[in-house]
Amino acid sequence: MSLLEVRNLKVHYPIRGGFWNRIVDVVKAVDGINFSIEQGQTYGLVGESGSGKSTTGKTIVGLERPTSGQIFYQGQEVQQNKLRNSVDYQRNVQMIFQDSLSSLNPQKRILDIIAEPLRNFQNLTADQEKLRVLQLLDIVGLSADSLYKYPRQFSGGQRQRIGIARAVATNPKLIIADEPVSALDLSVQAQILNFMKKIQRELNISYLFISHDLGVVRHMCQQIAIMHRGRLVEVGTRDDIYNHPQHIYTKRLLAAIPETNVNSRQEHRQKRLEVERIYNEQQAKYYDSNGAAFALQPVSMTHFVALAPTD
Amino acid sequence: MAAKIPEVTQISESDLVRLTQEARQEATPTFGKIIWREFKNNRLALTSLVLVITFILFVIIAALFINTPKMMTTNIMDYYSKPFNKNFILGADSGGRSIAKQLIVGSRNSICIAIGLTVISSTWGICWGMISGYFGGKVDLVMQRVYDFMMILPMLMTIIVIVTIIPTYNSVTLTLILSVFYWMGTSRLIRSRVLAESQKDYVAASKTSGTSNWKIIFREIMPNISSLIIVDTTLSFAENIGVETGLSYLGFGLPLGTPSLGTLIANANDPENITTYWWTWLPAALEIIILCLAISYIGQAFRHATNASQQ
Repeated sequence: MSLLEVRNLKVHYPIRGGFWNRIVDVVKAVDGINFSIEQGQTYGLVGESGSGKSTTGKTIVGLERPTSGQIFYQGQEVQQNKLRNSVDYQRNVQMIFQDSLSSLNPQKRILDIIAEPLRNFQNLTADQEKLRVLQLLDIVGLSADSLYKYPRQFSGGQRQRIGIARAVATNPKLIIADEPVSALDLSVQAQILNFMKKIQRELNISYLFISHDLGVVRHMCQQIAIMHRGRLVEVGTRDDIYNHPQHIYTKRLLAAIPETNVNSRQEHRQKRLEVERIYNEQQAKYYDSNGAAFALQPVSMTHFVALAPTD
Repeated sequence: MAAKIPEVTQISESDLVRLTQEARQEATPTFGKIIWREFKNNRLALTSLVLVITFILFVIIAALFINTPKMMTTNIMDYYSKPFNKNFILGADSGGRSIAKQLIVGSRNSICIAIGLTVISSTWGICWGMISGYFGGKVDLVMQRVYDFMMILPMLMTIIVIVTIIPTYNSVTLTLILSVFYWMGTSRLIRSRVLAESQKDYVAASKTSGTSNWKIIFREIMPNISSLIIVDTTLSFAENIGVETGLSYLGFGLPLGTPSLGTLIANANDPENITTYWWTWLPAALEIIILCLAISYIGQAFRHATNASQQ
């Protein structure tokens, strides 16, 4: 039994217009996706901006309302309209945000920020609570001095670690990490990612790791799903995606990883242009007439690709 | 099995006191301290604050020792008695009534109405704006239509009509009537800020931490718009002194026999009074000018302090 299973999840936003403010069209931010996350695993969700990956994360954690589809947590269906009221689910599914500054309330001290989920989900005395916050700060490598400071007094990397401490506070089973390192510089990115891995090992947490950075995803994730225009186009293990990409969109994403080898610059450029040409030429083979990806077809035991149905 | 947080760190209860001590030394100054520092460095604001507080306390206490009905009896012998004599420090009006005593009791009445009006209308306006801005959607739509309805009412005319028809009419009912019409500006101002504020990630983070909507509104968002609230409240206090005064000036304020700053200024309706008997209206006019100036200096210092703490 997987920890979290998402079945045919759809999030559509209406576009209103016309004289009576009728719904004239819908934006299909997420359009029928399926995946499941195992205990202790890191599941990568990759895609360009606007592909619906953040919306997926927010819907799972209960910040957005799904149009249709089901979410199963440890085999039990989570009622979507009561998602925010389900205490057990709320405590076990937490989120790390991209923007570390705006995700911490600028008017609250670190103690109050990290203690917020503790106050809502656990009955601790003031001393127990303070002790727990100090322990959490220690886990993410911050000193006890931070307790009575404000978020603005910390650097980006430190703030993101505070965000992680808050997410970890209630001992969750799953953490939705919505581009947790995209706003940080490279040296700090590595530091934060290693912290996340360390915490995962120690506390046996699963991550849904949302990112557009394929290098970071390769470092973090065992299972990867590529998302494009609200649908999954390729799902597989790290090896499947990086070494045997089947879908043109995946190939295009992989070709976009910057290469630092100056000597073969021309070669890489040629390769990128080639991939881009194939991508433009073969649109019809991989996308239906509306521009949406096809349903996933199994290629191997672990590897699924959105290919045109072969009937 | 997942490890619990206490098993992963070295910190235990024995360190709690020591670490708390360390954190306290590094603590950032509180909001109160920042405001105190601002006032200490801003002589003008400090002088204004002392002036306003001592003046308000003085008129409230002094008014307790004045027998208002006796003071308001007409005494033809003191008709337009000149100021600076031994019975009348500020002279007397056409009824031989002491201007100085009227000024004290009138200030007490006007200021108490202004305070009551500010407290009620600002509280209502802030709550209305915050709820409307935070929940958005249908709630916002309905609440803003109520706002629109209140805005199109001709305020002054409606107040005058209500004042003339209600049976029990005193300073309390006047305050309540005015409060019904003076919350709209505040509510719109607060709503616009809350609309922007509620889209920030820290609100989403609070939701995923399991905090209820009401707590998010009043404990998370409200501290972040405190500078706006403080500045708006101080300025609307200055404005509200003018509201009651203006109404009394027109003759629809407090009932006859109850002095207020407005009735004193209304002495200036008579051209004879303006030129010859200047002492009947000048002290009240000066008092209002000085009071409003001082309040706006205090508001400015508050804004500086809250901006400093919100950087």
